[in-house]
Amino acid sequence: MAVIAEDRAPRARLRANRHAPVLIGTLLVGVPLVVFVLWPLAAILLRSFATPEGLGLDNYLSVMGTPRFRRILWNSLDVTLVSTVIAVGAAYVFAYGVQRSLMPGKALYRFLVLVPLFAPSLVQAQGLVLLFGRNGLINRSFGTSIDIYGYWGIVLAMVLYVLPYAFLILSTALAVADQRLYESARMLGAGPWRIFRTITLPATRYGLAAAIFVCFTLVITDFGNPMVIGANYNVLATEIYNQVIGQANFERGTVIGMVLLVPAAIAAIWEKYLSRRQYALISDQSKPLEIRRHPVRDWAFSAFCGFVCLAILAVVAVVVYASFVHLWPYRMTFSLRHYRFDVQNGIQPLWNSIYISLMAAAVGVVVVTAASYVIEKLKSPATRWLYFLSILPAAVPGMVLGLGYVLAFNNPANPIYMIYGTLLIIALANVYYYHAQGFLIASTSLKQVSGSFDEASASLGGSRMQTLWKVTLPLIAPTLVGVAVFFFMRSMVTLSAVIFLITPQTQVAAVSVLLLEDRGATNQAAAFSVCIMATVLGVLLVVRGALWALGWKDVRLIR
Amino acid sequence: MTSQQGRPGWRAALAAGALALSLGAAAQADSITVYTSYEEDELTAFLDRMRQDLPDLTVNVLRLSTGDLMARILAESGNPQHDVIWGWAVTSMIDPRISEMIEPYAPANIDRVPERFRDPEGRWFAVTGYMGAFCVNNEVLEARGLPMPTSWADLTDPAFAGEVVMPNPASSGTGYLQIASLLQMMGEEEGWEFLRALDANIAQYIKSGSRPCNVASQGEYAVGASFALRAIKNIDEGYPITMVIPAEGTGNELEANALMASSQNKEAAQRFLDWTLSDSAVDEYFKWKEIVTITGGAIPQSFLDAGLPEDIASVMWPMDFAWSAENRDRILAQWQEEFEDE
Repeated sequence: MAVIAEDRAPRARLRANRHAPVLIGTLLVGVPLVVFVLWPLAAILLRSFATPEGLGLDNYLSVMGTPRFRRILWNSLDVTLVSTVIAVGAAYVFAYGVQRSLMPGKALYRFLVLVPLFAPSLVQAQGLVLLFGRNGLINRSFGTSIDIYGYWGIVLAMVLYVLPYAFLILSTALAVADQRLYESARMLGAGPWRIFRTITLPATRYGLAAAIFVCFTLVITDFGNPMVIGANYNVLATEIYNQVIGQANFERGTVIGMVLLVPAAIAAIWEKYLSRRQYALISDQSKPLEIRRHPVRDWAFSAFCGFVCLAILAVVAVVVYASFVHLWPYRMTFSLRHYRFDVQNGIQPLWNSIYISLMAAAVGVVVVTAASYVIEKLKSPATRWLYFLSILPAAVPGMVLGLGYVLAFNNPANPIYMIYGTLLIIALANVYYYHAQGFLIASTSLKQVSGSFDEASASLGGSRMQTLWKVTLPLIAPTLVGVAVFFFMRSMVTLSAVIFLITPQTQVAAVSVLLLEDRGATNQAAAFSVCIMATVLGVLLVVRGALWALGWKDVRLIR
Repeated sequence: MTSQQGRPGWRAALAAGALALSLGAAAQADSITVYTSYEEDELTAFLDRMRQDLPDLTVNVLRLSTGDLMARILAESGNPQHDVIWGWAVTSMIDPRISEMIEPYAPANIDRVPERFRDPEGRWFAVTGYMGAFCVNNEVLEARGLPMPTSWADLTDPAFAGEVVMPNPASSGTGYLQIASLLQMMGEEEGWEFLRALDANIAQYIKSGSRPCNVASQGEYAVGASFALRAIKNIDEGYPITMVIPAEGTGNELEANALMASSQNKEAAQRFLDWTLSDSAVDEYFKWKEIVTITGGAIPQSFLDAGLPEDIASVMWPMDFAWSAENRDRILAQWQEEFEDE
C-alpha cells in the first residue's frame, strides 16, 4: 500500500495518513489495556516487594529459596505440559475432523465439544468424582477400585477443561485454506501425509502456537481442579490459594503470581518469531477448499470425535442426573427437591450474571477485534508491547487479577472508582481476564486475511477505514460472533476474579453455586449449575433466532 | 459504606440501566453493608428475623467463607466497603491488620456475653461458634469392617489406613483449628508425635474445611474430620453418617462481631450490632448454631439426635486463640515440611 500511495500523494499528506491512524489505533487499544491489565498487575507487583521494612526482595527469597517451592514448581510444569500436549493434540484432530472432513455428526460434535465452556468449573470436577471416585458410578457398578485422586485426576480434568479453548483456536486456523495449493500438490504427486506436513501444518502454525499458549496458561493458573481432585498433589496455583485465602499472605501469594507470568513473557517473544513465518491463507485469488468424500477417513474422524464428546458429555450428564435424584448415591429416586433454591436473593444472581455476560460480550468483541486489528495491520514500535499486554492476562490467575482490581481501583481518587462496585466493573474484569483467548481467536482469523485486500482497496482509492468496514470486518464477521459468544459463555460461569469484586447488590450466579457448595448442598449446587447451563443454551437459541430473522442463516454461533 | 451512601445518580447511568436495582436501596439513610461468614441458610434465617425487628434498617450482606472474606477485607483495607463484620472467626479477627481497622464498641446488653468471649479492649464480641467433629460413614465402616471411632487416637489404628481425610491447615481455617487444638491439648512435642501417627492413615489433606465431611458423606472415605454443624446438616440431608466428637476434647472457633472504624453510618451499624445481642437474635442463634455463648436458649432436638452432647462445654477444648494466631506461620511451616507428600 505504501508503494502505491507514495506515487500519488505528496509526502507530507502521506506521512499524516500513515501515522495518524497508527497512533490513534495504538492509543485506543493501548490505553484501556494499560488501565485494565497493566495497572492492576503493577499494584500486585508492588505488593510482591512489600516487606515490613519497606520494599525488598524478602518475599521472593522466602518463597523461592525452599526445596518445597522447587518441588511445587516441578509438579506444576509436569502436570501442565502433559495436559497441554494431550489437549492440543486431541483438539487438533477434532478440529481437523470438523473443518477438513465430511464426517457424519459434524454439527453435533462441534456443539458438544464446547459444552465445558458454559459449565461452571465445579461441574467438571464434581462429575469426575461422581464417575470415577472411590464410591463413584464406575467403581460401584463394576466392582473396580479406581482411585481418581491425584496426578492423573488433575490431568483428566484439565484436558476436558481446556479442550474447547484449543478447539476454538485450531478450528479457526483450519477453517480456511486455498484450494489451489492443495490441487498443485496433488498434481505434483504428493501423498496425503506429505500434503499435511508441508501445507496444512505450516499454515496452522500460528494457531497451534496460540492453542499451546492458551492451554498451558489455563492449566498452570487453574486451582479449582487440583483442589477438588488433586488430593495431596500441590501445584503453584493451589499454593497461591494457600497463601492468599488460607493464610491471608498476599505478599507471598503475589510472588507466585509473578512467577506464573513467565510463560506469557516467553510466548510474547516466541510470537514474533512465529508470525514472521505465518503467511496469509486467503488472498484475492484464493479458491475455497473443496473437501472430497473419503469414507474411511470420515468415519475414523467421526469415531474419534464421538469418543471425545462422549467423555465430555458423560461428565456433565452425571452431574445433571445427580441433581435430579433424591440423595446421590443412597436414594436414587427422582426428585426435584434440589431445585427449590433457598439461597439469599433467590435467582437474582442469575439475572446479574446475564447482564454482566451481555455487557462482557458486547465490550469484549469490540476490544479484542480492535486489538487484533491494530496489532496485525497497524504496525509500529508499540506493536510488540500491545501484543504482550493482550496475551498477558492469560498468565494471570483470576484470583490475582481480582486482587489487583481491588488494590488498583478501590480508591475514591481513582477515576475508575466511578464504576467500582457495579456490574460494569465485573463485566470489564471478565473481558480483560479472558482477553488473551478472545484476542487469539480474532487474530488467528485476521492473520489469514491477505494484505493484498488492503492493497487492492487502497489502489481503488479506498481509505483504511473503508477497507476495514467493507472488506476485513465482513470477512471475519463470523469469527467475531463466535468471540462474542465466547465472552458471554465464560462470563456466565467464571468465579475466581469476580469473588473480589461482587457486592451484596451484585451477586453473580457462579458465586451462588459456590455458596451452596460451601454449605455442603452439593446437589443443590449442581442444580444451580444446571440452571446456568440451561440459561446459556437459551440465550444461544435466542441469538440464533435473532440472526436467522436478520437473514444471517449460516453463521456458526460457536466457532 | 462509602459506596452505598450518597452515590451520585450519574454513576448509575454510567454503569448501564441494569444497575438501577442495586442503587435504589442505597439512597436510604439507614443502610449499612455487612460482611459475614455465616453460612447461607442460617444467614437467611437471621436476616429474616432482623428485618422483622428493624424494619427501617436496610442491611446489605455479603457472605464469603472465612478465608475469602479475610482476603477481601485486607484487599479493600485502603477504602473499606463495609460497616460491620458479623459472625467471623476470632482467629482472623485478632490479626493485627484487622484489629487496626476496628473501632471498639460496647453494644447494649454486652454483659450477656461472658467476658472470655469478648475482646478486653471491646473491639469484638463472639456470640456463636463452631467446633470440630468427625463425619463417619456408616456404610463404608460396615463394608470395610471398621470399628466406630470415638477419638482422635482411634483414627491412628492401622485399620483406618487410607480411610481418613482431613482439611489442609495451610488452606483451611477448620484444618488449622484441628491441628492447633491437638498441639494445645497434648503439648507440642507429644502433639507432633501424634500428628505423625495420624498422618500414616490420612488419604488426603483436602483444601477446604467442609469438604472432608462431604466426601465422607458421599462414601468416598470412611472418616472426614470437619466441623459439627456440617455433620448435623448432612445427617439432616439423609446421608448415612454418624457425628463423632473426639473424646479428647475438640477444637473450636468463635464467630465474632465488630464495628468498622471507617463506617460512615455508625449509628445504624451500632443499631445492628445491638440487635445481634437481642433476645430475638439469640433465639434464632439457638436454632442454628452448636455454640452460643449467651445463655437463654436450648440446643435443638435435632442437634442432640445427631449426637451433640447437651453440655457442650464438657467436650470443647478451651482454645487459646492468641496462641493459635501467634504461632500460625511456624506451625504451618513445620506441618508442610513433614506432611506434604508430593
